[in-house]
Amino acid sequence: MENNYLLAIIFVPVFGSILLPLAGRISERLRNWLALTFVCVSLAGSGLLVPALFAGKVPTISVALPLGFNFVLVADGLAVFMALVSSLVGAIIVLYSFGYISHYDNRNEYYFMVVLFLGSMMGLVYSANLILLFLFWEITAIASWRLIGFFREKTHVIRADKAFLITVFGALAMLIGFIYIYGKTGSFDLAVIKAALKSNPIPDFVVALILLGILSKSATLPFHTWLPDAGVAPSPVTALLHAAVLVKIGVYVFARLFVVTFPVGTVWLTAMPIIAAVSAIVSAGAALVETDMKRIIAYSTVSQIGFIFLGFAVGNGVGVAGALLFILMHGLAKGGLFLCAGIVEQNTKTKDITKMGGLFATMPVTAISFLACSFSIMGVPPFGGFFSKYLVFAGAVNSGQTFITMTFLVGALLTILYLFRLFNAIFLGEGALTSKEGSKLMVASVAVLAILSLLSGIYIKYPSDFVQMAVKQMMGI
Amino acid sequence: MDAILLPIYIPIATALLVLFVPKKVRGVREAVVLAGTLANLIVAVSLFKSDLSYSIPWAGFGAFEFNLRLYHYSAFTIGAAAAFGFLISLYTCVFALNKSYSKYFYVYFLASLSFLNGAALSSNLLAVLFFWEALLMTQFGMIALGGKSAFKTATKAFIIVGLSDLCMMIGMAIYGHIAGTFNIGTNAISLAGFGGLAFTFLIIGAIAKSGSMPFHSWIPDAAIDAPLPFMAIFPGALEKILGIYFLARISLDMFKLDLNSWASYMLMTIGAITIIFAVMMALVQKDYKKLLSYHAISQIGYMVLGIGTLVPVGIIGGIFHMINNAMYKSCLFLTGGAVERGAGTTNLEKLGGIGKRMPVTFICFIVTALSISGVPPFNGFFSKELVYDGALERGRIFYLAAVIGSFFTAASFLKLGHAAFLGKLDKRNDKVREAPAAMLVPMVIIAGACILFGVYNALPIKFLIQPILGPGRLEGHDYSGFPANTMLVIISVVVLIGAVLNHIYGVKKTGKGISAVDHIHYAPVLGWIYSRAEKGYFDPYNIGYSAIDLLSVAAAWTDKAIDWVYNSFIVTVTDQASAAIRGMHNGSYKLYILWSLGAAALIVIFLIRAI
Repeated sequence: MENNYLLAIIFVPVFGSILLPLAGRISERLRNWLALTFVCVSLAGSGLLVPALFAGKVPTISVALPLGFNFVLVADGLAVFMALVSSLVGAIIVLYSFGYISHYDNRNEYYFMVVLFLGSMMGLVYSANLILLFLFWEITAIASWRLIGFFREKTHVIRADKAFLITVFGALAMLIGFIYIYGKTGSFDLAVIKAALKSNPIPDFVVALILLGILSKSATLPFHTWLPDAGVAPSPVTALLHAAVLVKIGVYVFARLFVVTFPVGTVWLTAMPIIAAVSAIVSAGAALVETDMKRIIAYSTVSQIGFIFLGFAVGNGVGVAGALLFILMHGLAKGGLFLCAGIVEQNTKTKDITKMGGLFATMPVTAISFLACSFSIMGVPPFGGFFSKYLVFAGAVNSGQTFITMTFLVGALLTILYLFRLFNAIFLGEGALTSKEGSKLMVASVAVLAILSLLSGIYIKYPSDFVQMAVKQMMGI
Repeated sequence: MDAILLPIYIPIATALLVLFVPKKVRGVREAVVLAGTLANLIVAVSLFKSDLSYSIPWAGFGAFEFNLRLYHYSAFTIGAAAAFGFLISLYTCVFALNKSYSKYFYVYFLASLSFLNGAALSSNLLAVLFFWEALLMTQFGMIALGGKSAFKTATKAFIIVGLSDLCMMIGMAIYGHIAGTFNIGTNAISLAGFGGLAFTFLIIGAIAKSGSMPFHSWIPDAAIDAPLPFMAIFPGALEKILGIYFLARISLDMFKLDLNSWASYMLMTIGAITIIFAVMMALVQKDYKKLLSYHAISQIGYMVLGIGTLVPVGIIGGIFHMINNAMYKSCLFLTGGAVERGAGTTNLEKLGGIGKRMPVTFICFIVTALSISGVPPFNGFFSKELVYDGALERGRIFYLAAVIGSFFTAASFLKLGHAAFLGKLDKRNDKVREAPAAMLVPMVIIAGACILFGVYNALPIKFLIQPILGPGRLEGHDYSGFPANTMLVIISVVVLIGAVLNHIYGVKKTGKGISAVDHIHYAPVLGWIYSRAEKGYFDPYNIGYSAIDLLSVAAAWTDKAIDWVYNSFIVTVTDQASAAIRGMHNGSYKLYILWSLGAAALIVIFLIRAI
């Protein structure tokens, strides 16, 4: 039974997405709701796997193919957690798109790409084979390339190319790393590789090659600049790419490979937190100087990804749990911020915060949702972001990284500063722009994300129980 | 439900109720608020003397659990907070009756009470931090309600306190790592190694919440911008109660501190500096509320100094001063609110002579001003004497700072009382009337308590404060009654007389109460420093912000440089490389033959080497 769920989670959206342009020719509404249904299938399917996990089972599908290749899907705690988070945020973003994208052309293509993107994300998280993983990885790259350049203006297309080139360059480097591992172990199957490697660390240059892929996908310094540039995409797309899915692919694969599967040299216990710290500080500083609303939020994403990497990189249960919770809390809150920015952008026709101001009066629900999501990202209780930030810090301190943790203290302070600067500039003070609240569906979507950010903090026990179970599986404790 | 949860649930449930009470029926909202705070007070009082624990799993790993413990000190803390909460909500119900902000003020205020109770009851560090940091939001909300310009101050407060909370977060992480537990009071660690760092960061959180220097600068701004009841309840009372509560718990329960450790000297120095600098700023203020706000900072210095001495007399003095200060400071702010309501301003230039029109307010002011100045037999006198005693035991310099602070405290209240209540009644203030009874009652009760806690100081000291230290630390001493050190009392009285003489001198020289300290304000060097201080040159917030600006500009340049590599450098290199390769394919047979020969040569060399 669980195996059927697993297949449906991936293949309903992947193959279903092809139907959407056809459905769009019949009826707009049909296509929209069909798209939402496909994404909800993934969400519901992943939800249905949860009881099995708590019962100690790990649903697995494995079909052997020649030459050490195989088709293998594994639904362990980490995979189900990632799938739940991305399909939940993805579903809300699709709902929001109903209102947002109706103002623009090429809607069939839009839904096709978005659902394909989410479907391949599902494929990626459940894959337990490096080649399968790489395949879905590249499908997401193609889909995001098309979505970033969605409006087809010349600069937009160039920026889409930039994002594509940087992430694909990283992916190819990563592929070389995978091939090296195949040469060593004779398999692409993660379980086989893990058994073959035992506790022998893989060579540092292979780690570096794979990291090139991960860091470029997760927009970490120095491979991050495509992400702020990608802000030209439609706002639900930026929410999808920056908040919920695309950038989380990199951190997910980091966890899958370097926390769960491969033993790595001790040098990475120091090197990775330093990379993360530099990335967190530099991008947070840039966010404090930028004047384009979506670029600020994008830099904020780059900065927060640094916190997630820190949690995964310190190699203890508390840090890993913090990083997993961070993926959830950041996905909800950052998705909310981008969607709020989308409402503001669509109504004021600008992204320049120096021209905005005083929008609180005309769009109160958006403003309050924006503030609530900001609080969650800052890590203010009772919002969920508080717990994830605390656990990442505690994990880093537990592994003896006290000085690196202090650097992240500066990063956390900068987070407070740039989010207040942004809120202040958009919603308070005096502004010449006229505006109105977004459509009901759009406003409801951002309010739902804000409320979920709050509930995930108040009822922290439930995500926390799940994460602890996942961490036990991951770390083998 | 466990009784220990009630102090957390009652206020927050009341807050939610206030949100949904229909505004059409007059007085319903106020009734709900009063009922909620009264219920909170009754519960807090009835829980006193009990010892309760509560624990449920929470954020996991067996370490981050939701643990609460009610024992003597936490019960005392929530009891004190509940008493102030009730009295000040009574006052606010009249003060803010027709103000547009009243509904959300009640919501934030009640939520804050709930968070404060939670923070005081928590015995797991994560739980403490959860409630502690949640106060950031409600504080932000209450200040922001003050109007359009208040948002900037609210942000400033959020950033300053938020930074200190982040420090505390790291301090807790380090503490938990060393102690092996996040539960308070089970394992006291030493200051060695990272323990010292943990202590420093935890202290930053505690003293920043209570408003000590260098985390103080939002308080004077809030005095102008925020709604007055906020000032009376938060910087005036609750934040001190909570901050000093945690400071004492850190120093007593979480760390093993030696008398001669740097930690003790650090705390005493922070205390001494806070006393002196804040009172010097208070002295020259020309606004009723702003003057009080600097005293709210200065007084915290006595508490930090007292606890920092680490000797029983100092710690008892510090905690006693905390509760005394909460009483007279909140009452002083309430008199400020009464004046604001009556005269429509708190600018001392425009006040004067209203004492006759507002006799009850004036009397409450006199009682509390005498208390804060340390005049016997009011409560402030006794707690200050205990702090003096402890400070003198640890070093004359700290005692000296405390006494100088007292001189200027007395001088500034002489000026304030003279300028606001005495002198000639301005024509503009002809219609000033006394505040309504609901506002006077809390003021009178608190002022009465100031006298009670002074005259019968055995009541708070023996019943409430000495049990906090326990018989082990007290070693049979009893610190209630008249101060043991008569010499110190004589010095204090001389200092107070000096302050009165200074006032008489100042008034004679200028003829006005408000200018009574001008000879200090415009003294050579001091005048220069004051003019810069008033422009915000010494505000740690402004200095820190400039540093952050520099950092962010540097970061943005780094980011631009990296982007240049992608946008220009790689593009140029690729273009030039492809142009070079294109140049090699120019259609010339000679060139192609050369290429072929070269390649053939390479193959031959390779084959030869392979053999």
